[in-house]
Amino acid sequence: MQKILVAALFLSGCCSLINPVSAQSIDTGTVLDSAAYDTLLDEIVVTGTRSPKMLKNSPVITKVFTESEIRKVDVTHIGELLQSELPGIEFTYSMNQQVSLNMQGFGGNSVLFLVDGERIAGETLENIDYSRLNLDNVQRIEIIKGAASSLYGSNAVGGVVNIISKTSAEPLHVNFNSRLATNNEQRHGGSISFNTGRLNSATNVQYASAGELKMKNEGVYSKVYGNRTVNVKERLQYNLDDNFKLTGRGGYFFRERDSQVSSKDRYRSFNGGAKGEYAFHEKSNLELAYSFDQYDKSSFLVEDRLDVRNYSNVQHNLKGLYNYSFNSKNILTVGGDYMRDYLMSYQFKDNASYLQHVADVFAQYDWTATEKLNIISGLRYDYFSDADVSHLSPKIGLMFKQGRSTFRGSYAGGFRAPTLKEMYMSFDMASVFMIYGNQDLKAESSHNFSLSGEYTRQYYNFSLTGYHNIVDNRITTVWNTDLKGMQYMNIAKINITGIDANASVRLPGGIGARLSYAFTHERIEKGQPLLSQTRPHAATARIEYGKTWKKYGFNIALNGRLLSKLTTHEYTSLTSYEEMEEVTYPGYTIWKLSLMQTFRQGINLIVGIDNLFNYVPDYYYSNSPYTTGTTFSAGVSIDINRF
Amino acid sequence: MKPVILFIKLIMLGMIFLSFPACNGILGGIYDEPLAEEKNEFGFIETDETNNSGTVYIDATSYTKWTYIDFHTLTVDSLEISEEMQEPENWDIAIHRYDAKTNGAFVLETGFTGLSTIKASGEIPEGGYVSDEWTTNKIVVDMSGMMDGKLKYAESYYNRELSKWLFVDTSTMPPGYNPSNKVYVIRLKDNTVAAVRLRNFMNASGVKGYMTIDYIYPFEV
Repeated sequence: MQKILVAALFLSGCCSLINPVSAQSIDTGTVLDSAAYDTLLDEIVVTGTRSPKMLKNSPVITKVFTESEIRKVDVTHIGELLQSELPGIEFTYSMNQQVSLNMQGFGGNSVLFLVDGERIAGETLENIDYSRLNLDNVQRIEIIKGAASSLYGSNAVGGVVNIISKTSAEPLHVNFNSRLATNNEQRHGGSISFNTGRLNSATNVQYASAGELKMKNEGVYSKVYGNRTVNVKERLQYNLDDNFKLTGRGGYFFRERDSQVSSKDRYRSFNGGAKGEYAFHEKSNLELAYSFDQYDKSSFLVEDRLDVRNYSNVQHNLKGLYNYSFNSKNILTVGGDYMRDYLMSYQFKDNASYLQHVADVFAQYDWTATEKLNIISGLRYDYFSDADVSHLSPKIGLMFKQGRSTFRGSYAGGFRAPTLKEMYMSFDMASVFMIYGNQDLKAESSHNFSLSGEYTRQYYNFSLTGYHNIVDNRITTVWNTDLKGMQYMNIAKINITGIDANASVRLPGGIGARLSYAFTHERIEKGQPLLSQTRPHAATARIEYGKTWKKYGFNIALNGRLLSKLTTHEYTSLTSYEEMEEVTYPGYTIWKLSLMQTFRQGINLIVGIDNLFNYVPDYYYSNSPYTTGTTFSAGVSIDINRF
Repeated sequence: MKPVILFIKLIMLGMIFLSFPACNGILGGIYDEPLAEEKNEFGFIETDETNNSGTVYIDATSYTKWTYIDFHTLTVDSLEISEEMQEPENWDIAIHRYDAKTNGAFVLETGFTGLSTIKASGEIPEGGYVSDEWTTNKIVVDMSGMMDGKLKYAESYYNRELSKWLFVDTSTMPPGYNPSNKVYVIRLKDNTVAAVRLRNFMNASGVKGYMTIDYIYPFEV
């Protein structure tokens, strides 16, 4: 049994699996319990293949954060969660204190974020609104690195993050949770879900806020704006019979940011959808879905008490997906999508609006050739009406198991079509210069080559992944002398090479440790408008100890995040790409100590000390952590129905 | 079958609610429209002769214009900045973006945040009134070189005290805008006194550079 368990850890390549505490009971969120491994053996993932597969059989390396892992990390923003475990992921501030992602050389618009497989509308400075990704009532988060456009189309250039909502197995589940932290950070939430066997419903409400935080030293930003967020989501599922399932969902999101004394930035989303899933027989199933997502931005003018909308992105999606299993080993997946993409923006001349239609078809064949060998191949065709861009995205991957080792190798194509914003922008940038769109943009494309090996022996697990990306036609703003402004342009090829390494240990008695390391190297031709902003070395570390008894359990964990300094070059002028100067952004480490206690399997108390060693940047760069030193947090989560 | 019917009804309702109202989005009604009258009407948009008070609304969005305000005649005039520019014969204060200058006046920032309260105080505050100063690096007339740190300035008088009505923090991008919300007392060169307060520096669409100034003139006790 032990071997099987260890093999499961090994095959998954999943940070949560090789992390002992993540193996805690998914239902209770309590600390390590060896019996929970049985649950994890059955952990199903869907993101890598768009068909349900056990982690151990997934030909695509999938990292999974389970519900209990999410609860234990005890954060509000998904960025904090991803950064805590995955080296090479950095959420920083870009202009106007907007959150910006860098995942080993890939920006926010090159990593596709999905909620239950659905795209997320709206963006600001090339990043979606990550605050929308409420971590309450989440079953798990699946992350695949590398291009995945053969299944997901545009934007899946550097990876895919898929947030899977929870379906309660309990007849009734009622949870209230609350968290307070230094700097007037608050989070309060509640969930009610029920399951009658055929009908199940999950309702979740969350409120989070943070006060204005003044920095201790000089920097790009002297303070972090105060903000508040409301997230409401409802999902209703009905199983008509064993073969036919209907799902309806709706959600509302609101965020307000105190960016100016005289005006506040407001962000809203209204979203909903309906999905039908039908299993014809054991061999095949069909999924048809419609989804709607509207993301608005408005300025609330304090003096006039007016809430004036200046941005609205409305996406309607229709989706079809069919899986056919030939002999329970070989799976054919075919599907197609249609999206109507409407965008009104203050960044268009006279707040104009534009419309685009997107359609695609795809097919994938997942062939288990032998017990040791799995081959997966896929092809997808996408068409964007307004850009008149069409793109073919191929993929081929192999997984080979030998004894305690698993090897995976793949080639995958990725692409990102020019957005309506990039094509039609005509924006006066604070009366400093204009930014213009470009209707002649080509799609960004990438070729991703990846090789990985994993080895597990008893309590130890090692994995190593090497990859190389050739990214062509990346879209960015370039100074245009004729226009005397910036314009979106395609730039020359970029090569991104990297290594991910992971070592973990789980000893009997509840002690566990993990060390993950990522090396990234971006090679950009001289004279290109874009320069590397990716730290070459990053690591995360975790050591923990946990025990659980019938009525009490605890887990104490020390998490660390280590980022190397970044020495790069920047142009001395933003209007010419000739003279450069060397700049260095300092490295830093941030450690968090947390203690979670579970009482009677229904009450979780978690206290944390973040930035344990009181790191304060001497100067706050855009990519510095905007911390003023050590902070404290305390939270409680109560499952009422457990009493 | 009741739950099935209920469920299907709910789904249908949801579909109708979400997709039929508008392909281009729903619930647009929760937002406000920009105030229409702010688009075209500039100058002394409100005057209350009984209380010697009113509101001036000006378009100061251009970097290359001074807008001259005359409280005596309730007139406003804009002039393009150039070496040949001739200032109007009569004016009291002038605005360029958020910069202010006066026609030989002295200005004091008070602790009052409302015109009614300063009027109710029954006195003209005493203190260190500030006159204009000649500057060569305050009045930006060309922002196009900003990305290279090469702004073009016009030489001009500038009143540092009155310009405190809006502090623009350019250390961040985009800049931070911090209005003082205070009342400024202006001793004009004819020894009359005006009290002004910057109510807003944006139009209703949030475009910056549209200045709404409440005033009392003459301010007498």
